[in-house]
Amino acid sequence: MKDIQTTRAIPRAINWNRLQDDKDLEVWNRLTVNFWLPEKVPLSNDVQSWATLRPEERELTIRVFTGLTLLDTIQNSLGAPALLADAQTPHEEAVLTNIAFMEAVHARSYSSIFSTLCLTRDVDEAFRWSEDNPHLQAKARLILDEYDAGADPMRRKIASVFLESFLFYSGFYLPMYWSSRAKLTNTADLIRLIIRDEAIHGYYIGYKFQRAAERLSQAERDALKDFAFSLMFDLYEIETKYTEELYDGIGLTEDVKAFLHYNANKALQNLGYEGLFPPAVCEVNPAILAALSPDSENHDFFSGSGSSYVIGKAVATEDEDWDF
Amino acid sequence: MLDHSLTTAKSATGDYHALNAMLNLYDENGQIRLDADRMAARQYFLQHVNQNTVFFHSLNEKLGYLVDEGYYEAETLDQYPREFVHAIWDAAYARKFRFPTFLGAFKYYTSYTLKTRDGQRYLERYEDRVVMVALALARGDQALAMRLMDEIISGRFQPATPTFLNAGKKSRGELISCFLLRIEDNMESIGRAINSSLQLSKRGGGVALMLTNIREHGAPIKGIENQSSGVIPVMKLLEDSFSYANQLGARQGAGAVYLNAHHPDILRFLDTKRENADEKIRIKTLSLGVVIPDVTFDLARRNEDMYLFSPHDVEKVYGVPFSEISVSEKYDEMVDDKRIRKRKINARAFFQTLAEIQFESGYPYIMFEDTVNRANPIAGRIAMSNLCSEILQVNEASAFNDDLSYSRMGTDISCNLGSLNIAATMDGADFGGTVETAIRALTAVSEMSAIDSVPSIRRGNDEAHAVGLGQMNLHGFLAREGVHYDSAEAVDFTRCYFAAVAFHCLRASNALARERGTTFAGFERSAYADGSFFGKYTEADWLPETGAITDLFARLGVTLPTRDEWAALRDAVMADGLFNRNLQAVPPTGSISYINNSTSSIHPIVSKIEIRKEGKIGRVYYPAPFMRNDNLEYYRDAYEIGPNAIIDVYAAATEHVDQGLSLTLFFPAEATTRDINRAQIYAWKKGIKTIYYVRLRQTALEGTEVQGCVSCTL
Repeated sequence: MKDIQTTRAIPRAINWNRLQDDKDLEVWNRLTVNFWLPEKVPLSNDVQSWATLRPEERELTIRVFTGLTLLDTIQNSLGAPALLADAQTPHEEAVLTNIAFMEAVHARSYSSIFSTLCLTRDVDEAFRWSEDNPHLQAKARLILDEYDAGADPMRRKIASVFLESFLFYSGFYLPMYWSSRAKLTNTADLIRLIIRDEAIHGYYIGYKFQRAAERLSQAERDALKDFAFSLMFDLYEIETKYTEELYDGIGLTEDVKAFLHYNANKALQNLGYEGLFPPAVCEVNPAILAALSPDSENHDFFSGSGSSYVIGKAVATEDEDWDF
Repeated sequence: MLDHSLTTAKSATGDYHALNAMLNLYDENGQIRLDADRMAARQYFLQHVNQNTVFFHSLNEKLGYLVDEGYYEAETLDQYPREFVHAIWDAAYARKFRFPTFLGAFKYYTSYTLKTRDGQRYLERYEDRVVMVALALARGDQALAMRLMDEIISGRFQPATPTFLNAGKKSRGELISCFLLRIEDNMESIGRAINSSLQLSKRGGGVALMLTNIREHGAPIKGIENQSSGVIPVMKLLEDSFSYANQLGARQGAGAVYLNAHHPDILRFLDTKRENADEKIRIKTLSLGVVIPDVTFDLARRNEDMYLFSPHDVEKVYGVPFSEISVSEKYDEMVDDKRIRKRKINARAFFQTLAEIQFESGYPYIMFEDTVNRANPIAGRIAMSNLCSEILQVNEASAFNDDLSYSRMGTDISCNLGSLNIAATMDGADFGGTVETAIRALTAVSEMSAIDSVPSIRRGNDEAHAVGLGQMNLHGFLAREGVHYDSAEAVDFTRCYFAAVAFHCLRASNALARERGTTFAGFERSAYADGSFFGKYTEADWLPETGAITDLFARLGVTLPTRDEWAALRDAVMADGLFNRNLQAVPPTGSISYINNSTSSIHPIVSKIEIRKEGKIGRVYYPAPFMRNDNLEYYRDAYEIGPNAIIDVYAAATEHVDQGLSLTLFFPAEATTRDINRAQIYAWKKGIKTIYYVRLRQTALEGTEVQGCVSCTL
């Protein structure tokens, strides 16, 4: 019949009861129960704490968050959609669209922080700074090069994992540091929600990379590994400069670098590779490392909302439950 | 503010925050680094506290300075001869008190101790605070002051935060923890309630308000249909009031609102806590509680609809506010009454919605209305609870003139709290004396308080002298004694312990009534006055049923009251009455249990290493008391133990507590709403009075966890 366009593949409805990869459903379930919006966090409780920061500490904090906003924006509008084209299963596509949406929520969250805590003038200044900062722009460009149409799908995944599991952390360090010092604790709650998401994103994309790599020849795998490590070196060099520029002023650079090493190793592990940095240079300040875990945090409900609540699975009660 | 931020020394061994955080990371042999936390506490003193504490050459110099500079209340000290003041200070310092954990010390110095006005230097050590509290509460009674100092510094009795923080200081907030206010169905009452919330928040203490009597969304006003906006806008006003009135920035005001499950706005009320609620109706910081009568359970059992009744019409028909009638009793009558407008929802769907919201937010609290009222020995109805769901007292409506003055002054509720450390109390030499001293201290707080800004609260306190003695460190004690929390022995211990505490509370209040020559208002209409309250104690023994617990009480030398002693107490109470209308309430004990080196309340621990986060202290790590690397088996946490065993322990305690107990339910994130509903049904069946938070723990997805983290491992 002439109204069927033969050039187009037959559109297929997604069937979640026929899974090619169980991991898709597992991650989908985890991502959906973890859904959140920045409005749930009472950021305004941090207004007083914000006022106790020195002007240079405030400037640093705003700049760090604009840097994070840029990364989330890239991942939302380019990164996750670029990966969509390479998806092997319809379920993977669904997971990736969820990832893309949550990245938009993350980018939106930083603006919530800004509008709650900061003056518009300072925020505008910081956004200008982020556009002019050579290191920030350089790392964005390195990642974007791999996201371009026509680039290799495997290299795209590598770049994406590095963004999710490595590049964010020079920024995440600061709110974790503040919260370990009893400052901006609600902001840290919000960032911890973002970390909770990014950890899964990096893990999932890395997992898909490893599955795909299994189907490649040894030579192709070796080439990818060379590429991954050389990209990591390039990014690391930029990150160290970015870190020095941001954190030298308040004397935290060494601490942040240890954190970078730790996360660079985690990013490589997500791709199935061994770590690059020896344990001696990955000794993260325990206060920061311990602050990363959202589990079983016992907060007092009157000053924060915590990061452990999720959207539950609704199951109706049965007659036997009401047997009394 | 003493700045804990960037100026802190950051050498590897000296950073006490880093040392404390090492608790949450296993060492290379897989052991929990309890020694790192002890080092953190020590470094905190060496590097921070000692260097920032004002030094005085003598006690006289110190007290002279603190009084002259307006830090200490001269009247508190002037009640005692100078020799006694020296004696009690010497005795306190001779105890060589040391904080066993970093969090205990950090919390004390951050939130409790007296600081210079610029916040830069500490003026008190722990001993000073303890002595000032004892001197203030003993009001010139030297023997009581010395005894109270001993009870507090030994860790047996710990006054609640407002008392421990404020007593003896010249410029201070109130000593009382908790306030409960009614709101009636008129604008004057709502306006007065908002003003009262502002006033009470300013002075410290959480405020709970009852919304049950406010007419629903769409109800008529002055006979014109669809005029009322219901309870949500009132909640918004209250939430903003609490945010505005923070106590000199010390902490946010905190409030809770309670609504009956059969109020027509109930679903809107719950939806304010939805993850995707619109900003106009979202409630972020106000706590919610739902009052559920027995009839709701019966309707759900039969899988029927439940009717919601317009409070406005109910009040017109019955001539009393909605909260004054028992929904269970009048349910069928109201369903058949055409004058009462109503709508219906499915009862099971209601419970499921409740559980969904609890998943997303931890709220609402639940109060089982009929259970509470059946167990209430006092004449009158209980229709609400408080911010921590452990206060359960009767109240009385007020009426107002147009200028907001009272045309009829009712009574509202205040409660001051303090808790016993179960382990320390069991170790002490005089169990009954410890309970009595605690009741005397709490009574002093009541007598010393007069909340003039809210006259109905003042009247309630003057007439009732209600206090709430709580308990903490149950899990710590059981673990130390090699008893599992989820065991028959734990339940056995709990019922005997709480029966003995109830006995000594009543004995102390009876002695106070004799000394003061008066009882609380309404004693003659209570179940104490006719002796009926005592039936269950004179007709049955409350002694241990298991060998292990019999041995435990014997070994620690704690004797339990016999039936004859109960009968003698009954006769004494019937003759002379009780001074306090309410005696026990078991609060969740956050901050004070850290200072006191206890596990919270009578809950199981939430984690072997607890991650504690608060506005003022940030994120700090707290090891369970008495825990060693070789007795970890007794420290299974609340998520592993599961809700039913916790409910069993609470049910055993509830039997002997005249008010309530803050009971939190713990679930893994994989649980469903059905699991939560089943736990609620079990709690209700076991005679639990209230449920506090629902807490969830989500385990990290395999492959994304932080390596070597103690709180992440199960």
